[in-house]
Amino acid sequence: MTQPYDAIIIGGGHNGLVTAAYLGRAGKRVLVLERRHLVGGAAVTEEIFPGFKFSVFSYVVSLLRPDIIRELDLASHGLQILPLESTLTPLPNGDHFMAWGDHDRARQELQRHVPSDAEAYDEFGVLMHHMAMAVRPILDMIPPDPASLSPGDLKSLLKLGKHFNDLGPERFHTLHRLMTMSSADFLGEWFECEPLKATKSASGIIGTFLGPRSPGTAYVLLHHYMGDIDGAFRAWGFARGGTGAISEAIAGAARAAGVEIRTEAAVEKVMVERGKAVGVALEDGTEIRAHMVVSALDPKRTFLQLLDQSLLPDDLLDGLRRYRYRGSSGKVNLALSELPNFTCMPGPGAHMAGAISISPSIDYLERAYDDAKYGEFSRRPFMDCILPSVIDPGMAPPGKHVMSIFVQYAPYDLNGGWTDAKREAFGDAVIDTLAEYAPNLKSAILHRQVITPKDIESIAGLTEGNIFHGELALNQMFFLRPSARWAKYRTPVKRYYQCGSGTHPGGGIMGASGRLAAREILADWGVPS
Amino acid sequence: MTKRYDVVVLGGGIESLVAAGYFGKAGLDVLVVDSAETVGGTMVTTESVPGFRFDSCLDSAGFVSPEVVADLALAHHGLKYSPGEPLMVAPNPGGPALRLSADAEATATSLKQLSPADGEQWQAFTDRITGFARLLTDIYRNPTPRPGEGGAGDMISLLRLAARARLLGRVELMEFLRTFPMPVADLLDDWFEDDLLKGALGVVAVRHLALGPRSAGTAFGLLHQQVGAAAIPRGRPIISGGVGHLAWALEVSARERGVEFRTGTAVAQIGVTEGAATGIVLDSGEEISARAVMSGYDVQRTFFNLVDPEHLDPEFVAKAARIRYRGVAAKVNLALGELPDFTGLNATDLHGTIVLCPSLNDLERAYDHTKYGEVSKRPALEVVVPSVSDPSLAPEGAHVLSAWLHYAPFHLRNGSWDDSDRSALGDLALRTLQDAAPNIANTVVGREVLTPLDLQTRFGLSEGQVFQGEVTLDQILFMRPVPGWSHYRTPLAGLYMCGSATHPGGGITGQSGRLAAAQLLRDLKKQVMRT
Repeated sequence: MTQPYDAIIIGGGHNGLVTAAYLGRAGKRVLVLERRHLVGGAAVTEEIFPGFKFSVFSYVVSLLRPDIIRELDLASHGLQILPLESTLTPLPNGDHFMAWGDHDRARQELQRHVPSDAEAYDEFGVLMHHMAMAVRPILDMIPPDPASLSPGDLKSLLKLGKHFNDLGPERFHTLHRLMTMSSADFLGEWFECEPLKATKSASGIIGTFLGPRSPGTAYVLLHHYMGDIDGAFRAWGFARGGTGAISEAIAGAARAAGVEIRTEAAVEKVMVERGKAVGVALEDGTEIRAHMVVSALDPKRTFLQLLDQSLLPDDLLDGLRRYRYRGSSGKVNLALSELPNFTCMPGPGAHMAGAISISPSIDYLERAYDDAKYGEFSRRPFMDCILPSVIDPGMAPPGKHVMSIFVQYAPYDLNGGWTDAKREAFGDAVIDTLAEYAPNLKSAILHRQVITPKDIESIAGLTEGNIFHGELALNQMFFLRPSARWAKYRTPVKRYYQCGSGTHPGGGIMGASGRLAAREILADWGVPS
Repeated sequence: MTKRYDVVVLGGGIESLVAAGYFGKAGLDVLVVDSAETVGGTMVTTESVPGFRFDSCLDSAGFVSPEVVADLALAHHGLKYSPGEPLMVAPNPGGPALRLSADAEATATSLKQLSPADGEQWQAFTDRITGFARLLTDIYRNPTPRPGEGGAGDMISLLRLAARARLLGRVELMEFLRTFPMPVADLLDDWFEDDLLKGALGVVAVRHLALGPRSAGTAFGLLHQQVGAAAIPRGRPIISGGVGHLAWALEVSARERGVEFRTGTAVAQIGVTEGAATGIVLDSGEEISARAVMSGYDVQRTFFNLVDPEHLDPEFVAKAARIRYRGVAAKVNLALGELPDFTGLNATDLHGTIVLCPSLNDLERAYDHTKYGEVSKRPALEVVVPSVSDPSLAPEGAHVLSAWLHYAPFHLRNGSWDDSDRSALGDLALRTLQDAAPNIANTVVGREVLTPLDLQTRFGLSEGQVFQGEVTLDQILFMRPVPGWSHYRTPLAGLYMCGSATHPGGGITGQSGRLAAAQLLRDLKKQVMRT
């Protein structure tokens, strides 16, 4: 009989690995169990076609908490983030809008489109910086329960109240507006340039089933502003080796802390004895015992799949039933014989090392959403493309390229359901739309992989293919994520915890959920943080 | 030397009249100036077609604050109203009609014909939503708490609010916090399966919002419309003589307290001396001085039309310019030679609001056009036939019908509203009505169509927004009308605001006039004590 583990982490996604690493560093004996043959969850790099490597699902990084990079020393475990310098938005009229990371160049470009927006751009940047600073402490906070009267919760609520009060009325009002407005309206107050507004508001719809004119999307926009590479706000980056390299770096840090990681080990059930989690049973029948179990899976899997529902109180079951996933995005990964040649900016150039966004106007995004609302994929979707092989030549054979296309909207609940034919039709819609801007694209395609929300669900195990483990909506955030009373990483089963993106603060390759969960787990263990 | 009033009240809308009534009660010298010939603002009953009297704009007085009715003794001044019953109905081609009644049990029984499961859910849904609405009713009865503004009073009112919210109980409080930012479509999908029911309640939630039922925050729209109600939906108090009678009772009550009125009198400017409002200048050039000015107009009209920009703080101007109005509804008033015959509805049903919106998807599709500056191809209609309850509104045997049409955006893609747009809109409304009540087309003896532009021109509502600014999460409570100025004062000393533009917003009748009057009275008292 082997000694039981201190903790078993179910799911080797980035949050599971982060929790494992922190527990390992606190001296605990930790085992991570991953269903697939590789760790990373939705942050994996795979050689889908010989010689061509893809960040199959997630593709850029910006939200990873700098505390985690530093505390886990991810750089020494191989994490290297290469900045994406620009975002090119090609326009139907043959012109383009180029959003440079470099402030002066961004201003110059705005000057060319709408001179008054160039002035506004400065102020807007400062404002969003302040807003990100205002929200940042909340990201690092265990959500208090506003309905509780316990001293801990009251103290935490007072702290939160003081934080908001200290912002002063101006910033508090702006924060309130960001939390409650649509990204289209919020940006519309600042800018006139349509492609600028559309390209920025596109980050307000990612992972939601809302259009840019729906309230609530301004917050998602801010969420994406929280990114923080080398201290620079809203700097998107690309991990050398793809997003899988991020997972590998965290896994490396975990292993260095003594964590054991087992792949191809799918968990069937959490074993519960006398109301306490005591280990897990694998699909192959193996039982592994541990002092505690932590699930990095999404709430549906964490509670409804791994536990008997009889263990769960009605309010939680009700909350889980109403928790919304509705994956709305898909992915197209292309192996290319040559770089796409954009009509608006012909030939190779610096723009190839940045993002290319198909988001010419707010109306364009709304129309893409309209299709999805009624159960169809967007005929002309929003796309966020990058060419990782330009930044990191190791991703493709010499002279060849890989292209990653994030696509929205592709509803999980497609009319008639997803079939192979529908998947290909969706892929065709993506390629046809993109080829309008880069006519050589079709002939350059050597291979293509089309991933629907249904595929995200079946491959990466994300319910309904939602990349954030549940929509990032105001009614599913903070002390309501994933459900009232159960937002503090604990569950109704003693010694069973949750640490995935379905907990505060949620989605993106952020790792904050995993880190906060580890903090709570260690607190229960009596280990000071 | 002309008389100097204590307060000049701009506009004769309901909130202005309520404020004037409170000033009169406090013994002040008060003058109400209204450019219309009859006071009432958006609550006026007009004989637009000879022999037919219409509630021209709003056809419901919303939730009339009981404090105001009592304080101003409106019942003694001839105000009579009764709850309409049923509250809301929706015809159902090929099935039983939807009937929502003040009695939840009756509604549940009726709903079971549409969906047994929904019938089972109704009581619990009513309990939850009316519980939330009671919390809002309490919040709306007081000046809004102002988080972040730091005063001791603000701290106390925030703590009071927190304590009141906790009275909901642990589960319901969390549900409340979870509910208001949701799309109303999600809320309704969580509870119900019947499309007709969800479509009807969806329409209630998006009233006068440039949002569809799948837009986040529209569940708050439903809660706001439920304030003061013990049943769902709130229903329409039937005021005998039309909604205009409420204004009439307020005017009589105010006159008895010595309030003076000048109707048919347009205001050109608010007079400012040394940074403070000191009276008004009429179109005629006549100047009227006062210690304070109370404006019942919206922010756009008050500050951008009536105040010389040199007196305004640029930061305030920037914030005020951001207010979203964007009216999206049009009003159609029809004079009918006979009773409209809605397929599947009986005579009693016509006492309620008749909703024409088969499902949330139909409502959402109607909204989709708005986003691109077009009128809905298949609009949703909220129809009332007030002459059924009050025969005095039409000649014998004839009827008046009013309908709000969603969505008709103020901002059209192809320019501004013109006569042919108006006429097309009327035809669209008529076609939609005719599908539900086939005899209508042959019985129309007169019609009046008010596009959002008409609502702006005739009632002074910016962008035709009858709530004087959208009632959305970013424009309520301490954000209304302008962040930092939610307690009825303005950056111009002596200038105050009341009306739907201010907390608690549209559809909550009498409260902003009452709260604004109290603020101004407190300030005047302090002034007296200082001097």
